[in-house]
Amino acid sequence: MADGGVPTWESVARDHGRFIYNVAFRLTGNHDDAQDLVQEVLVRVRKGLATFTPGSLEGWLARITTNAFLDEVRRRHRRPVDLLPDEPDRVVPPTRGADVVHEEENLSAGVQAALRELPPDFRAVVVMCDVVGMSYVEIGEALDVPVGTVRSRIHRGRAQLRKSLG
Amino acid sequence: MSAAEASHLDDALSALLDGELSAEEEALARTHLAACAACAGELEGLRSVRSVVRGLPPEPPPFGFLDRLSRPHHPTGRRRRRRVGLAALAATATASFGVLLLSSPADAPVSPQMVRLVEAHATSASGDPISQLAPVGVPITFRR
Repeated sequence: MADGGVPTWESVARDHGRFIYNVAFRLTGNHDDAQDLVQEVLVRVRKGLATFTPGSLEGWLARITTNAFLDEVRRRHRRPVDLLPDEPDRVVPPTRGADVVHEEENLSAGVQAALRELPPDFRAVVVMCDVVGMSYVEIGEALDVPVGTVRSRIHRGRAQLRKSLG
Repeated sequence: MSAAEASHLDDALSALLDGELSAEEEALARTHLAACAACAGELEGLRSVRSVVRGLPPEPPPFGFLDRLSRPHHPTGRRRRRRVGLAALAATATASFGVLLLSSPADAPVSPQMVRLVEAHATSASGDPISQLAPVGVPITFRR
């Protein structure tokens, strides 16, 4: 991070790339889309660094990541031919072969698959709340929706996850 | 029965877990929970789902991905690679086609075909007015 508290683009990629990647993977549910999303995020980070206010850098990055994700979902929705992520084989994360898969990895894969089944708006708030650890107010500001909407979406998202995970 | 007990808590349950209720709302919610087994059960289910999602380990990026990203002038290196790949494929296809075009005329056996055509004509044309020309049509220059 530079002296003034405003990070450089390279330092964001180097120091927070793993954080952005994890959020991107939880949102998209597959490595190809996660990589594309991270690249889009870094393009937006480069453009937005001039207006960055020193504060919660990860909150700011999560906000950019989630909005880039939702923009992409909307773009694909306008062009239905691009709706590849809804194909069943892309819902399940890659497996490494039954003999080397640990129970913990199975659990993660199951949770990720359940997350992937959530409508994108619900998935976005659940990831921001439970993966990133943002407050309802922060999520509302990031997505430009009222706190009541955040609360409702988080609850409905979790209720659906509960059903999926049985 | 109070108003709080009459209606289930629904999204207030998630907000309670997240510490997002005001003190007053939380007191009402806890009063309801003490009397409502359905909401108490749902609260535990939600608590479990919440802890499972919170417990997901960080997903590591593919090997080398972050190194490529950190290069200052290649923020979209992966997409560029895809385009380079396509260009390479196109170039290979063009080159292969070119090789076919260049190689076929040199190897084509034109003369033997000509001999066969002339011979075939000579043998099938007898009795026909043109057959008078047939002996002339089988010149010695077209030997195999």
